[in-house]
Amino acid sequence: MALRERFETPGKMRTWSFGLMAIGVLALILGYIFIGADHGGGEHGGHEVPGSHIFWGTLMYNAEFFLLITNAAMFFICATTLAMGGWQMAFRRVSEAISTLVPIFGVITFVILMVVLFGTHIYHWNSEEAASDPILKGKLGFLNPTFYVIWTTLTIGLWSLLGWRMRKLSAEADAGHMNNEKGASFIWRNTVSASLFIVWFALTVGSTVPWLWNMSIDAHWYSTMYSWYTFASTFVAGMALIAIWVIYLKNKGYLEIVNEEHLHDIGKFMFAFSIFWTYLWFAQYMLIWYSNQPEETVYFWHRVKGPYKGIFFLNLIINFICPLLILMRRGSKRNYTLMTFMAVLILFGHWMDFYQMIIGSISPTHVTWGDYWWFDFGIMGLFVGIMIFGVSRALASKPLVAKHHPFLKESIIHHT
Amino acid sequence: MASIKYESQLREPLVYGTKDYHQVTEDICRPIEAKPSKLWYIGFFTSVALLLFGVYSVYREVTYGIGQWNLNKTVGWGWDITNFVWWVGIGHAGTLISAILLLFRQGWRTGVNRAAEAMTIFAVMCAGQFPIFHMGRVWMAFFVLPYPNTRGPLWVNFNSPLLWDVFAISTYFTVSLLFWYSGLIPDFGTVRDRAKTKLRKRLYGIASFGWSGSTKHWQRHEALSLVLAGLSTPLVLSVHTIVSFDFATSVIPGWHTTIFPPYFVAGAIFSGFAMTQTLLLVIRKVYGLQDYITMGHIEAMNKVIVLTGSIVGVAYLTELFMGWYSQNKYEGYTFWYSRANLFSPYGWSYWGMMACNVLSPQIFWFRKFRRNIFITFFMSVIVNVGMWFERFVIIVTSLYRDYLPSSWSVYYSPTIWEIGFYMGTFGLFFTCFFLFSKYFPVIAIAEIKHVLKTTGESYKAKVGHIEEAPMEEFAYKYAHIENTGAHGRGSSGMEHH
Repeated sequence: MALRERFETPGKMRTWSFGLMAIGVLALILGYIFIGADHGGGEHGGHEVPGSHIFWGTLMYNAEFFLLITNAAMFFICATTLAMGGWQMAFRRVSEAISTLVPIFGVITFVILMVVLFGTHIYHWNSEEAASDPILKGKLGFLNPTFYVIWTTLTIGLWSLLGWRMRKLSAEADAGHMNNEKGASFIWRNTVSASLFIVWFALTVGSTVPWLWNMSIDAHWYSTMYSWYTFASTFVAGMALIAIWVIYLKNKGYLEIVNEEHLHDIGKFMFAFSIFWTYLWFAQYMLIWYSNQPEETVYFWHRVKGPYKGIFFLNLIINFICPLLILMRRGSKRNYTLMTFMAVLILFGHWMDFYQMIIGSISPTHVTWGDYWWFDFGIMGLFVGIMIFGVSRALASKPLVAKHHPFLKESIIHHT
Repeated sequence: MASIKYESQLREPLVYGTKDYHQVTEDICRPIEAKPSKLWYIGFFTSVALLLFGVYSVYREVTYGIGQWNLNKTVGWGWDITNFVWWVGIGHAGTLISAILLLFRQGWRTGVNRAAEAMTIFAVMCAGQFPIFHMGRVWMAFFVLPYPNTRGPLWVNFNSPLLWDVFAISTYFTVSLLFWYSGLIPDFGTVRDRAKTKLRKRLYGIASFGWSGSTKHWQRHEALSLVLAGLSTPLVLSVHTIVSFDFATSVIPGWHTTIFPPYFVAGAIFSGFAMTQTLLLVIRKVYGLQDYITMGHIEAMNKVIVLTGSIVGVAYLTELFMGWYSQNKYEGYTFWYSRANLFSPYGWSYWGMMACNVLSPQIFWFRKFRRNIFITFFMSVIVNVGMWFERFVIIVTSLYRDYLPSSWSVYYSPTIWEIGFYMGTFGLFFTCFFLFSKYFPVIAIAEIKHVLKTTGESYKAKVGHIEEAPMEEFAYKYAHIENTGAHGRGSSGMEHH
């Protein structure tokens, strides 16, 4: 008997991905005409901010979100590699396929960020305003276009490069049986590559990049938790994304060696990191609320008491209450239907979290979803379409199982 | 579900040598049944002496008042609260090992959990002393308990993180103690059954609560362990989170920063593992337990140390960066003048912290150092020195120069009684630990026997042929994967079939 090692992209999937991309491109064009073109300056549907800010801001949060969740798949690979985790080998190629999108979404994000930086006034610090504002002036050592461009290039470039190295190494496990000696050296080389990725990840997602890309939209405001919060949000969403693909492949009869034991553990990650996200959310919010200093509470004011109130609480309900109540039970983490539902919910919830983080700062007085929901969902469709296309291509290009990986057998008999 | 147990040959066995169950019992019970060595007596009486010095130092403080310490107008928290946070932090490794590593199925926890949990309990006992005696009128300490009383408006302040600490730490202590003790029960049963004297049999009999090793007992024991593991998992985070709130809810520059909760937790685990290393390296040598607390265990703990040390490092740099980025003059002064400036009065403590906690643990990226006993021991001490500096830096450098420069002139350094109090907690800690290591099984006998089946060297040799089997043969023949074709879910035991 043999395992089904080759994924063949079903025609239906291709249709879906092209359909979503088509919707996305349509939304992009209409969005540019109706929102982004900025004819009337500040007069778009009663918004006080220029339409171009909403247009580019929406592209920005979508691009960043999808880039960071696909990169989270590579983080998951590297973290489990360093921890000598065997259990995830059965679906390792799925995480790898998701991570192949990092260069693609990386380029898209880069282009969008460059337009945001040079073509709009979303970043106050990159305008004349900064010269006359003593606080912004003081920050220019970090918040300046040169550093922004160099650091963003390095960030995306190295994520792509180091991720590519990990995937290239993984391909060696297809070649042939590894004896103990060969296996040990293989694990060792994986460990070295994974640690390089993790270090770079800590210096980017774990610290500088969320400050530079997102926190600096509210250029006066600061919170030391901001980057770890962003990491938690994208990591849990990344786990949900892995879950969806694993379940999809199971439904199509692939991944014979994956069973509900593996799903259960993915579910534990989704549960645990939902709680972890909430923990960071609470720590940040509670400390700012408790000390009640205007220069800090300004960030939350319109989010809690203003127009974003609904989204603020919905964020907590979707990303905390639902995972807490639904994923707590053992049975629900082993149930394909419930896990699919929860994975979609978590992805949506953290996408919305990115919406409130970024658009909440760009357009504080008006929730843009009210008028332009079609644009947000259209752009999301664009990215989902690209993702489906990219992941299915990557899955089809390699065997679905890293056959000779030294830990694969542990994963086959894994039980939680 | 798989019908075999199997582990890659690339993984080191968790127990070295080809031992059987009886050998395990013999090895671990030996220290309890033998007479203590001379070294044990020396260590024990030194600890008791330190403890007595501590008792005297505290007696001075209680009798003559807080003036026995050198706290002053701006530095209202000094060595006392530094030591409190330091000990609480150390107390984190035990629960992490017993709860979180259990959830992550880290088999190596079985070799070290017993001693780490004991350490947790003793460390929390030491920690508790500081805030209690810091109250001054310690006989009023019961005022922190909210119960119906006749004191009128003198009622606890539920808005204060200091009160949350009371609840957090007492809960933590209770659950850790229960967890530790419930794990000990089967092992006490073993020691009782081997006892040669009547007294011994009686005492261990009481301690084991009449453990008989019946299936029913094991069933209840397992259920209890799971419940306690579930309860302690959030506690690993909550305790140090609330300790961090003691600082972060304030508006003091250097204290009020949102990253504090997770960063304190990471630091606590960091120092807890370092202390576990310090103790275990001694125990394995003195009691000859190198086959149970192996190089693999030491290496795994060093990995946790380099991970948590680096997380803490990212947090330090984040804070320092924000001290500048915020463009807030007071934050800037605290971080860049009072701390990062080596030539400021307390600059040495900041750089001591950086060197011990962030820079030096980086050597554990290298396998050679992770598996070197001397370096590990040295580093385990260095880390806890560094973590002491960290708390000192946070507390004193934020306080000693407040908003009123006229208060600045007094330079804070501890009196002998402040130091004595700290020494005394070392005495308490080690007295307890020496007693523990003499009378309690320092390694969980029952749990070691459990993992012996799947990672012992003899087991590994037995299943070596599986390693050689091609992956498909393995999947179908040994693991019984069902091939249900293109449209089935292709595995065994799916719930919704």
